[in-house]
Amino acid sequence: MKNLSLTLPTKVIFLLSIFLFSTSPAVFAAETEQAKLSLERLSQSLRTLNFNTSFVVVKNNQAEPYHWLHGITKVDTSTADEAQLAGSQLTAAKTFNVELEILALLNGPRRDILRVGNTVSYIEPEYAPYSIASAQISGPIPTVFGRDVSVLASNYDFVSVGKSRVLGRAAQLIRIEPKDAHRYGYWLWLDLESGLLLKMAVITRKGKLLEQIQFTHLEITDSLSENLKQLHLAELPQIIELSAKSKTNLAWQVNWLPEGFIEIKSDRHRINSTNQAVEFMLFNDGLVDISVYVNPSKDTHRPIEYVNDGATLVLNQVVNNLEVSVVGKIPLATAKDIVNSVSFTPKKVN
Amino acid sequence: MSESKFETISSLVDNYRVSEQASEQVIDEMLKDEHLSASWQQYHLIGDVIRDDIPPTLQLDLSAQIAEAIADEPSVLAPKSASKPLNTVDLIKAKVVQLIRPVGQLAIAASAAGLMIIGVQQNTADNNEVIIPTQVVQTKPLAGFANPVSFNYQQNSQSQQQETIKERIAQQRRFQALLSDHQQQVKLSAAKLAELTESTEAK
Repeated sequence: MKNLSLTLPTKVIFLLSIFLFSTSPAVFAAETEQAKLSLERLSQSLRTLNFNTSFVVVKNNQAEPYHWLHGITKVDTSTADEAQLAGSQLTAAKTFNVELEILALLNGPRRDILRVGNTVSYIEPEYAPYSIASAQISGPIPTVFGRDVSVLASNYDFVSVGKSRVLGRAAQLIRIEPKDAHRYGYWLWLDLESGLLLKMAVITRKGKLLEQIQFTHLEITDSLSENLKQLHLAELPQIIELSAKSKTNLAWQVNWLPEGFIEIKSDRHRINSTNQAVEFMLFNDGLVDISVYVNPSKDTHRPIEYVNDGATLVLNQVVNNLEVSVVGKIPLATAKDIVNSVSFTPKKVN
Repeated sequence: MSESKFETISSLVDNYRVSEQASEQVIDEMLKDEHLSASWQQYHLIGDVIRDDIPPTLQLDLSAQIAEAIADEPSVLAPKSASKPLNTVDLIKAKVVQLIRPVGQLAIAASAAGLMIIGVQQNTADNNEVIIPTQVVQTKPLAGFANPVSFNYQQNSQSQQQETIKERIAQQRRFQALLSDHQQQVKLSAAKLAELTESTEAK
């Protein structure tokens, strides 16, 4: 009977390990399940509540204040135009719901984003106002939170961590942790009462805070706010037609990306501010966007240079007169691996 | 009269935090010193003008006085601290003296600004011929900017240093351009993204 000769501490460890192995998956699963439910509730709340809220994006010792309004209105099919019809879910034969949304940057030149149903209009100093057909506003808050968050499950773990007080309300902290070391984690503090977002932080695997969004005011109402009523009556700028073909054959490819990133589009365009012609590819893993640019350069060689804007990294290098740049909310090591994985035939590029 | 005293007064006027010791000292001196107390009034007046908060009567009264005072001035560049006696009571006279000084300073500042505008315009005019206008204009204010030792320690000549500065500005501009283009592309492909991610989910 050799087992009897085990010393007491070994037994304790043995027992403990049995205990841990048997219970932890169940506990973990329950936490994940809870986190998933909270995220689904967030998505639901973002789409269905009338809310009027303000938040501040804090990064690199600077703060950008925003005002964000969202609401739902019923529209009669007889009075609605086609664009509105396209973006709505029919609730009854005669009426349907349309989402109205305004996101405005409060400091500096005006940057407003307006949404009526499936039309999003951008009002920015760089361009004449334009609209695109989309059911999502691209702002500081990742669009996936208003959609189906389960698309993230293959690359991220959802963990329900605990409760705390944020914006004077009881909040549940949910962590969206990457499964590998190639991306950042997102921590969300969600309102227990409404399910809405109260705070968000982008955090490295080592726990360093890179960027955060803190809500400073939240008001949930039964009726539509005055601004949104006006938005519903306003005439939005013309929708610009984006070419149906979203992929162009380029003379280079990105050979390595973290798992789960898919190509969203590739094209040739000119960068607005510098008028530089570039070849471009955009990738996304559901939460994070990565842009890769390739263009000829007058320098023959330039080592890797990079800059951080909060969690967003901009990195570029020149090899053999070709400049390769990577932009996205990814760690430096990931961006370096991506930039080094680009292979091309120099003569073919432009 | 040290600059810091004026600065403290300015801070007090603007309700900025000033150390208690400094503020007490300055307030005491202000009560004794006519020049300091005059600047206290000036700063308040400046603040009022900026806030568009001046009582109409004061404005009317002063415009006449200023016109008269300017007529008496031999040169704006060297205003007399006490100009010809004016036909007013002593109290008003003191106030006018305070006002001549800022007017004189303003004139100098305005003419300097005028020169700067002309200078910049000439610069851009020159650059228009060289096609790349913005770079040269931007290097000017950064001319005194020290280069990090590691960046190009072997470069000594003036022109090479200028090159480095240009290079750094170009680099910053490149990063900024990439960042804003990235954000723009993300916006434009929002619909595409939703479509694609949902289709992968459906698989």
